[in-house]
Amino acid sequence: MRLVIARCSVDYVGRLNAHLPSAVRLLLVKADGSVSIHADGRAYKPLNWMSPPCVLTEGEGLWRITNKADESLLITIEEVMHDSTHELGVDPGLRKDGVEAHLQVLLADRPDAIREDLTLVRREYETGIGPVDLLCRSGDGASVAVEIKRRGEIDGVEQLTRYVARMVEDPGLPHPVHGILVAQSITPQARLLATDRGLATVTVNYDALRGLEPSIPTLF
Amino acid sequence: MRFRVERDEFTEAVAWTARSLPSRTATAAQQQVLTGLLLDASGPGLVVAAFDYEVAAQAKLEATISEEGRALAPGKMLAEITKQLPAAPVEVWTEGNGLVIACGNARFTLRTMPVEEYPALPPLPPITGYIEGGAFGAAVSQVAVAAGRDDTLPVLTGVRLEIEGDVLTLAATDRYRLAVRTLKWRPESPDAAGVALIPARTLLDTARSLSGGSVEVAIALGTGPSGEALAGFAGNGRQTTTRLVDGQFPPYRKLLPDSCPLIAAVEKAPLLEAVKRVALVAPKTAPVKLAFTEDHLELEAGSNGGEAQASETLPSTYSGPDLAVAFNPAYLQDALNAIDSDQVEFGFASADDAEVAAKKPAILTGKGAGEGEAPDYRYLLMPIQLNG
Repeated sequence: MRLVIARCSVDYVGRLNAHLPSAVRLLLVKADGSVSIHADGRAYKPLNWMSPPCVLTEGEGLWRITNKADESLLITIEEVMHDSTHELGVDPGLRKDGVEAHLQVLLADRPDAIREDLTLVRREYETGIGPVDLLCRSGDGASVAVEIKRRGEIDGVEQLTRYVARMVEDPGLPHPVHGILVAQSITPQARLLATDRGLATVTVNYDALRGLEPSIPTLF
Repeated sequence: MRFRVERDEFTEAVAWTARSLPSRTATAAQQQVLTGLLLDASGPGLVVAAFDYEVAAQAKLEATISEEGRALAPGKMLAEITKQLPAAPVEVWTEGNGLVIACGNARFTLRTMPVEEYPALPPLPPITGYIEGGAFGAAVSQVAVAAGRDDTLPVLTGVRLEIEGDVLTLAATDRYRLAVRTLKWRPESPDAAGVALIPARTLLDTARSLSGGSVEVAIALGTGPSGEALAGFAGNGRQTTTRLVDGQFPPYRKLLPDSCPLIAAVEKAPLLEAVKRVALVAPKTAPVKLAFTEDHLELEAGSNGGEAQASETLPSTYSGPDLAVAFNPAYLQDALNAIDSDQVEFGFASADDAEVAAKKPAILTGKGAGEGEAPDYRYLLMPIQLNG
């Protein structure tokens, strides 16, 4: 990462032409080859930039950055106030909470963790108004729609109610059709509403599910 | 640097080495040089090389060198260019910061990368012995299929190569199955010995690329410049060195039974076809059931009340108690594809107790090699327990 603070003017020649008049700005040259020009504002947004792959040619008082589409960014440098390079290394990246998606994957493999007699028919079963997370079959041959949430709330119950109503209308599915709301925790209101609607609720323990021994026996 | 090479030889050498270029785009500036292919014309001949700190690939070819030197060119770009060159001798030289490639009437100029920043390539360790390329390639593919793909258990992503005199033993396991192959080779010294755990994917790639024609492959186990354990493979002007996988391979020999009290033999090709068909109805990891009865084998997959069900009956040579055993169909297919024989034999752990036989690992081999002689390829497969 190279940081340059300089008084400069910038011209962009490509699909459209743009000009930044002379001012003091921050120029960032990143290890991926990108160059961006920042003012002292607009948070993360540069005034102008060139994404990689691009080539930076540094001349006397003029930086020329070109890319494959033959667009170029011309930075005319009048005065350099700061120029330093820092080795940042590999960034570990941003971790998003993917619990809900992961729960779906885990439970698709182990539908018996929801209720012992369940077997998976398919994931993401399309009802016509959106996909229900898991379509399962119960031991007595009934269809079971499973909606998986991190936290079970009124919304989840409403959503599942709509899916089940659609699926009851579907002659292609074995009847009757039941619904189960699965979550790590379920609010008392959601539980009450689900019971009123004839839907079951099940809480599962994410950590326990993750640590479940594989059901496949191993050699050692 | 300036040299002249034959077009096809150059294209092939560049394409082969380019496969070892780091796949993910290197972000850190110091790794930028690794996306380059090294052209080393310090003679004799030209060496094309790629290196990602794990694997180093070098291809040597004949070249008329008029000016010795080295250059580092953008790897992917160079590989794409050489693929499309017209059929004419290729002349390559450096010009300032550029590398010029001239072939027929075509002319390319590439911006070179700083060759002095390119890391030193690990030299090939002293050669331990030789083996015929085709035989080695076949053996490696038989074994590598059982290697783990899960990086959370790195030890299992390797193939264990053991040298004991004139016998090579290759082994790999992902805990669900274990494949072991023994074969003869020609060691440099009769009491050669050594063990190396080689990344399965690298070994498979290398063995395949050296398996053409009647290439003799040299295998070299040793240490690199900074004391790290290395394995090297060379033949046909190509050379690959790779770092080894760290860690202790599981003590697999004790898993292999000395003898099998109960054996069922089935024609391999029809069984493979049948498994493929029947497995169509089994969801991802659901098992295929094999029910052995006197002279018959019935395959079954899917469940009652499930979406679909399939079964197929095949003749088999079997005399024992009625035995039902279930396997992961993908692992079973891997075994059948790897076994080099018309017949496959399933060896079970017990001749009297069908329940024990269905629970303990089964050993799959080709047609019996003869009394008291261990078959050269063995595939140990863990059954899946049938419910109820």
